[in-house]
Amino acid sequence: MAYQRTPTYSATRRASQNWNRNQNTAQFKSSVKLGPVAHTVIVALMITVLGLIYLTQATKATSYDYQASELDAKIAELDARKSEMEVQNARLTALETVKASNVAKAMTQPSDVSYTE
Amino acid sequence: MNITTINNQRIKQLGLLFAAALVIIILRLFYLQIIQHGVYTDIARAEQQKQLTLPASRGELYALDNGEPVKIAMNETVYTVFADPETVDRDELGEIISSLNEIAGAETVDEVRDKLTKENSRYQVVARDITRTQAQLLKDKKYAGIGFIEGSRRTYPEGRLAAQTLGFVNAEGKGQYGIEQYFNERLNGVDGELRTVTDVRNVPLTIGSDNLRREPVDGENLVLTIDRNVQSYAEEALQKGLERAGASDGSVVVMNPNNGDILAMANYPTYNPNEYFKVQDAAQFTNSVVSVPYEPASVIKSFIFAAAIDQGKITPSSTFYNSDSVKIDDATIRNAYTGITGTRTMQEAYDWSLNTGSVYAAQQLGGGQLNRPARDIMYQYYHDRFKMGQLTGIEVAGEAAGSIISPEEEQGNAVRYSNMTFGQGMDVTMLQVASGYSSIINGGTYQRPHIVKGVIDADGDYSGRAAEGVGERVVSNDTSRAMREMSAVGRGNLMGGTNGDKTGYTIGGKTGTSQVVENNRYIFSETIGTYLGFGGATKPEYVIMVRVAAPGKKMEGGAHASPIFTEISNWMIDYLRLHPKQGDQ
Repeated sequence: MAYQRTPTYSATRRASQNWNRNQNTAQFKSSVKLGPVAHTVIVALMITVLGLIYLTQATKATSYDYQASELDAKIAELDARKSEMEVQNARLTALETVKASNVAKAMTQPSDVSYTE
Repeated sequence: MNITTINNQRIKQLGLLFAAALVIIILRLFYLQIIQHGVYTDIARAEQQKQLTLPASRGELYALDNGEPVKIAMNETVYTVFADPETVDRDELGEIISSLNEIAGAETVDEVRDKLTKENSRYQVVARDITRTQAQLLKDKKYAGIGFIEGSRRTYPEGRLAAQTLGFVNAEGKGQYGIEQYFNERLNGVDGELRTVTDVRNVPLTIGSDNLRREPVDGENLVLTIDRNVQSYAEEALQKGLERAGASDGSVVVMNPNNGDILAMANYPTYNPNEYFKVQDAAQFTNSVVSVPYEPASVIKSFIFAAAIDQGKITPSSTFYNSDSVKIDDATIRNAYTGITGTRTMQEAYDWSLNTGSVYAAQQLGGGQLNRPARDIMYQYYHDRFKMGQLTGIEVAGEAAGSIISPEEEQGNAVRYSNMTFGQGMDVTMLQVASGYSSIINGGTYQRPHIVKGVIDADGDYSGRAAEGVGERVVSNDTSRAMREMSAVGRGNLMGGTNGDKTGYTIGGKTGTSQVVENNRYIFSETIGTYLGFGGATKPEYVIMVRVAAPGKKMEGGAHASPIFTEISNWMIDYLRLHPKQGDQ
C-alpha cells in the first residue's frame, strides 16, 4: 500500500505553529499575576537568604576555631601533665634519692670480686 | 509666574542641595576610604589582631648512666598565684590562707594575709613556683579574686650533681655559667609567632587574610659525656677527702684518655643549681677545673720527662748526679725532698720528685744547657703539643687560657724554664694538664677534651656527635709506653708502696705540691696538693686529676690528693668492670 500525505498538512501551517512532530505542546498559564512590588520583595528575600547562607558558612569556620582552641588547651594540659610526671620521675630516680633510700642503705660492699673470664 | 513654575524651581534647588550633599559625602568617603585607607586599616588591625609569642622549650641536658642518657636539666611548668585584694571575698580569707598553706606550703609568700587584704592594690603575689597539681587543687577551690600565671622553670633533678659544669638558668631565662651559658642560644631555640584576630577571650579566629602562625623551634637536647655515677662518686670522694685533709677547696676531673670524653668534673664547695639564688659567694659558681689556672707543680715532671724521652735525650735509666740543688743563671733550684743525693736515675728523679732531675732532663734538650734551643723545644712540647696555656675548646663557659711564657719573651729565660720543669712559673688549668697527660699515656695522641656526646631529637632518638678521628700525634708510642711504666713505678713507690691500689691493674701517677704566690712571692705557709694519674688493665681507661687546697694550710699531693685519686681509681675499676691482667688476678 502506498503512503499518502494527509490532506490537511501544509508547509505553511507547520511554520506558523512553530512546533515539531512528537514535541509536547501543552502550555500552562498561571492565573497568579506578580507585579513589580512582589518581584522586588522576592529579590530582597533571595538576597537575604543568600546573605544568611554566607553568614552561616563564615561563622562555621569560626566555630572550628573554638574547637581547635579547646583541643590546643587539652594538648597543653596533657603536655604539662607529662612534663610534671617526667620531672617527678627524674627526681625519684636521681642518685641522691636512690642513695638515701632504705634499699641502698641496707646494701653492703662485696667482700670479694671474682671474674669469669 | 504660576504655581507649577515655582514648584519646579524649589524641586531643582532641593535637587541641587542633595547633589551638593552627595558630593560632599562622596568626597569625604573618598578621603576616608582611599586616602586614609592605610591609617584606618592599621587602627582596625591593632584593635582586632593580637600578636602572641609561641615560646620555644629550652633544650634539656642529659648525662650518661652506663651509656644510657638520663635527664639532668629539665623544664618544669610552674604557676604564680596572685590575688586581686579588691575582689577577694573577706569571708573566705581564712579558708584561702589555710588552702595556700596546705597546698602551696613553703611556696606561699610571707605575710600572706596582708597581701590578700592590701588596700589600693589589684595585684599581689601570694605563692610562687607551685606545680601544676598544686595549681589545679587551688583552681578547684574557685576562690574569687585568685588568679594563676603559668610559667616555666629550669629544674635539676639531681640537685648538686655537676653544678659548676651545668651552670643554671636565671630568672630572665638566661643560662649562667657552665653548659647553660655556653650553649644558651642552642638550648633556647627560637620562639614562634601567632598573629591573628582573636575574640575577647583571646581565642584565635581564622578571620582576616593576613593571619600568621610561625611554629617555635625548640632548643636542642644535648647529651653530655658526663657519667652521673662517676660524677657522683667523684664528688663524694672529693668531699670526704677534703674533710680528712682539713681542706676547704678542691677539684677533680676524670676523663677518658682515649677519646677526650670528660666523665666528671667535681668542685667543692658546691651548690644546688635549683637554689642558685641562695649562694652567697659567687666563687661557688666557678668550675675551677676549666676556669682557674694555677701552678700544678711536680705533676708537670711527667711532661718534661716525656719531651726528653721523645727527643731521645734520656731514658728512665739515664743517670745524673743529684746534689739537691742546681744553679741556673743567678738562681739556685733546690729539691723539696733532700738527701737523695749521688748518682740517680731519671726514674728515681721521678719517684722522689727531684727538681734537679727534671732540670737535668730539660738541659739535655739543649745539649746540657737550658739554652734557647732547649727552651724552644720545651715550649713546643708544653704549648704546641700538649696544648697547655691555651684554650682547649671545652664546651663550658668561662674557660681560662692560662699562660706559658714563650722563650721569645724576656720573661721566658732559663730560670723560668727551669722552674717550668717542675710546674712553677706557668699558669695552666687542670683540664689542660689532664688532657696533655692523657696524650702522654694513651699511646701519644692528643684528644681534644669535650663534654658533648650527642643530641636527642624531638622524637627522643639519640645520635652521637661525629667522631673527631685520630688525634694529633704528640709523642711516639715508645715514649708513651715508657711514661706509663715510669708513672706506674713512681706510683708503686709512693708512700712506701702503700698506696691502696687494687692489684692486677696498671695504675700510675705523679704528685705535685705547689707553693702559693702572694704579692708576687712564693709563700711557704700554704701549698696546694695535686695528684695526676691514670688507671686501666691492659691500656689506660681513665685519667684522674685531683687538686686540694685550703687557705693558710699546707696541702700535699701525696698525703692529701693521692688518697682521693686512689678511692676514685679503685671505684672506676669496678664501675668499668675492668678485669685484672692475666696472672695478676
